[in-house]
Amino acid sequence: MQRLPKIVRILAVVSFTLVVVLFAALIVNAFQNGGKPLTSLNPQGPSAESIQKLLIPVTSIAFIVFLGVLGAALFISWKFRERKDSDPDEFPAQVHGKTTLEIGWTILPALILAGIAVGTVMTLINLNRKEPNSINIQVAGQQWWWQYKYDVNNDGNFDGPEDITTATEMVVPAGKPIQVTTTSNDVIHSFWIPGLNGKKDAVPGLRSPLKLQADEPGIFRGQCTEFCGLSHANMRMLVRAVSSSEYDAWVKNQLKDHAADPTDPTALAGKKVWQSLCAQCHVINGINDVKMKETKPPLVSGVAPNLTHLMTRGTFAGSIFNLYEPVNSDGSPLPMGDVAAAGDPGAALTGGKVDTATVNRVTLEAWLRNAPALKPMYPQGGRGMPNLNLTEEQIDQLVAFLETLN
Amino acid sequence: MALTEDRPLALPSGESVESTKPLGVFTRPTAETGVRSWFTSVDHKKIGIMYGAAAIFFLLIGGSEALLIRMQLWAPRGSLLSANLYNQVYTMHGTTMVFLVVMPIGAAFANYLIPLQIGARDVAFPRINAFSFWAFLFGGVFINSSWLMGGGADGGWFMYAPNSGVIFSPTHGIDFWNLGLIITGVASLTGAVNLIVTVLNMRAPGMTLMRMPIFTWMALVSQFLLLFAIPVLTSAQILLMLDRGFHANFFNVAKGANPLLWEHLFWIFGHPEVYLMILPAFGLVSEILPTFARKPIFGYPFIVFSGIAIGFMGWGVWAHHMFVSGIGPISVTTFSLTTMFIAVPTGVKILNWTATMWGGKLKFSSPMLFSIGLVTMFTIGGLSGVMHSVAPMDSQQTDTYFIVAHFHYVLFGGAFFGFMGAFYFYWPKAFGYMLNESLGKANFWLMLLGFNLTFAPMHVLGLQGMSRRIYTYDPGYGFEFWNKVATIGAFTLASSIGLFVFNIFYSKVKAKNLPPVGPDPWDGRTIEWMVPSPTPVYNFDPIPSVTRVDDFWYRKYGETKDGKLVRIASTAEVAQQRTDGKGIHLPSPSYWPLVLAFGLPIVAYGVIFSLWLALIGAVIVIAGIYGWVMEPPDDPDAAHDDHGPEAHASDGGDAAIPESVDAVKEVETVG
Repeated sequence: MQRLPKIVRILAVVSFTLVVVLFAALIVNAFQNGGKPLTSLNPQGPSAESIQKLLIPVTSIAFIVFLGVLGAALFISWKFRERKDSDPDEFPAQVHGKTTLEIGWTILPALILAGIAVGTVMTLINLNRKEPNSINIQVAGQQWWWQYKYDVNNDGNFDGPEDITTATEMVVPAGKPIQVTTTSNDVIHSFWIPGLNGKKDAVPGLRSPLKLQADEPGIFRGQCTEFCGLSHANMRMLVRAVSSSEYDAWVKNQLKDHAADPTDPTALAGKKVWQSLCAQCHVINGINDVKMKETKPPLVSGVAPNLTHLMTRGTFAGSIFNLYEPVNSDGSPLPMGDVAAAGDPGAALTGGKVDTATVNRVTLEAWLRNAPALKPMYPQGGRGMPNLNLTEEQIDQLVAFLETLN
Repeated sequence: MALTEDRPLALPSGESVESTKPLGVFTRPTAETGVRSWFTSVDHKKIGIMYGAAAIFFLLIGGSEALLIRMQLWAPRGSLLSANLYNQVYTMHGTTMVFLVVMPIGAAFANYLIPLQIGARDVAFPRINAFSFWAFLFGGVFINSSWLMGGGADGGWFMYAPNSGVIFSPTHGIDFWNLGLIITGVASLTGAVNLIVTVLNMRAPGMTLMRMPIFTWMALVSQFLLLFAIPVLTSAQILLMLDRGFHANFFNVAKGANPLLWEHLFWIFGHPEVYLMILPAFGLVSEILPTFARKPIFGYPFIVFSGIAIGFMGWGVWAHHMFVSGIGPISVTTFSLTTMFIAVPTGVKILNWTATMWGGKLKFSSPMLFSIGLVTMFTIGGLSGVMHSVAPMDSQQTDTYFIVAHFHYVLFGGAFFGFMGAFYFYWPKAFGYMLNESLGKANFWLMLLGFNLTFAPMHVLGLQGMSRRIYTYDPGYGFEFWNKVATIGAFTLASSIGLFVFNIFYSKVKAKNLPPVGPDPWDGRTIEWMVPSPTPVYNFDPIPSVTRVDDFWYRKYGETKDGKLVRIASTAEVAQQRTDGKGIHLPSPSYWPLVLAFGLPIVAYGVIFSLWLALIGAVIVIAGIYGWVMEPPDDPDAAHDDHGPEAHASDGGDAAIPESVDAVKEVETVG
């Protein structure tokens, strides 16, 4: 056997070393979950924690098996390599197999897997057990945002007068079990808040259960994980876990409508614009909710987000833009960065006054100017918000009106 | 086409030749070299080579799509591709790699090697074999022609309903995908029937099933998987075609359809599909490892039966793709458990390969390196597969980059590494020259590096929350660093493929100054290494008679009672010499498979654009069938020296070689 050129030998050593370094770096990095709002390795609720409890031993077993196979392959490759001085006519012992070994390494993995199976089934039972006194929320996906309906009076109906319909952000009390029911108004989506639980597909025509519970107040980010067309990447969601008292105040505010005219004349003009253009798809309770129920909206996906309490949300447009500060330092429209920088509605969350100084006007105006330019949508097919060709004056009036929707 | 006919299939010379020109269009092709010989060939070796060449061509297309994806994801908010274009590119990348690269490379090796490994002159139905190839090629070109006609499919390779409906995808991309895959499905199905019949009926004397080389076994299991899986996909696709083109409501939720119907149908096909992609590579590695360890495969029957077990169990696990789809806890638990235990036969294979190497005298040539690469890299993919089988963990991992990492470790680290090893291993047999070993080793190390740089970081990206199929991600999620690493890895990987293509041409040029490669450059074990390289058109002369597993090896070596090996004959003594092939009866070339296959994409264009065009396509298809049927399998004008009519009497149609006759001949000459 001729000797390899030096460059190939160097390449072999470099490649092997780099792969080993890469694997080591990845293992270390898997434990570094700070500043990674979508990580599934930092559970913040009981369901996610029970999955983590399963993940650690199973992954460890998998890792040990891999090290065993890799170690064996490398050791055998080294120990049984053909030596330079070996006699070419000498052959190794011709072993054809050994039945006891075969039976052994059929049974051993089966036993390990049986152990994993027990843990799996127990976790599955735990994850599917219904919690008493849950808050029932129906989550409906549509291209490319999430709608939430709260069964406030627990009568099994999500559309009663005492129930809440909201969008983009799910507000829940920390420490309380939430029973989510996923469904869809168009294609299949998948609802996933990795910090709180695994995902559940939102399938049109089906209602699928998913338990959520946040241990502590905080913001938990999510991302649609079933490919749902053009703007799948821009379909995100956010769970805002708050204290029980804050949650009660939030519910109370959400049940109010916005029938009354705003006092500010600019905002009043904005309401007129809203009623002539936006009301074709969007709903504000007290203004056009009854009419929207009578006439089928033009959208394939059903309705556009309910805007009654827009300003109680920190984000908009499928949770990809901040409605409140922080904004980009140069003032340009900027999708949300990390969780720490998610927009904060402040007192407006529970119906308090909107602090207009902190509203992310730049992005909101850009959205009203030409929404499809900021988020790929398909308005010509009735999916997503069209460019309404508003004048700058109309945009100012609209923003003034929207800012009253606390 | 084992038709029984009353009249003799080959007419004595001098009789009317009308029937050889059905429709009066084509003269029977006779060329054995040159471009025309490839278009009309029914030789399993030429068809195998064409499968491989087409697959490498599609690999370059699918690979370019992968590079576009990786460039788009290099940094947050990449602007190279629009959302719309990205969705098309990733859909076509998956479709191309599965249906037009990995499956046809498997078909290439199955076509080339099965007849050689079982001691046959060709496959059972040589013209159907040609048809399978052309239908695959035209189907693949048809799907890719969508790029020039309004854009590719944009629903993902899994094409979930209802997102694949006209409302949500109004362009024709999905129609191209749908109809193109129906055509390649026909190709796979005819190919599967062909190869199954070949293996079951055309083995050399003495080659019982349990003496077959392991590649042939694994390819056989794959063909059975194809046989039962493809019709499910085709049925689902016909429903989709009726929905999209003819206002049917199979997947229309508004009319009461349940979109999970598509998911079930797709994955009942889709999971066996995974195994039928990986099993041929398992078979190839099972040929390579013993050759370079210079000892027999450890536990031949266990390797064979674990392959069969994977084939059977592969049918009971499909819903693990649907753990979060809302199928209910009982189904989830059931499929979770079935999926877990499919790891047992897979583990048996890995351990047997390791045991094959144990105690051997390992020679690290390029095929061996790629095979060890498969054993280790596939293990990663297999173990992450066990992680997904745990349904609660899968509910976090599914549809994230963790899954992307998992199946690339299975299909690239597993199947493709095996294929690369087999390219280096079988190249001299197919083309008569060796690929350069130094370049081959550089190719391996570059590929190992590029592969791991690309896909290993995706494990962590997925666990830390990066969704699949997203054209953009924002800064601040911690995705930036590993995406950059993956993109660098993708280009490293591409350069290793480039090195392989370069090696093909470089070695060809260099081979002119080297002595011709003999029949058995690696000291091989199975009977394909008996025949001269490149393989003569007639394969074997005479057909050998087989007495045990690794028959050729034991013609060269004897084994003492205590397992010691002694050489009993030199390779030159037991290998076959190149003969003039006179008196060997081979199937004649034909145009009709090409004509028939050519009609199919025209019908498909017609279904999309105008039913009149479909009618023209249908006329071509019918003409192809008519010409095919009216044309005798054997060219009566072809030179048939000195063999009497009794040879033809046993020829039941397309069959390549009257086996019984040659079996007799074989006994006389070799004994």
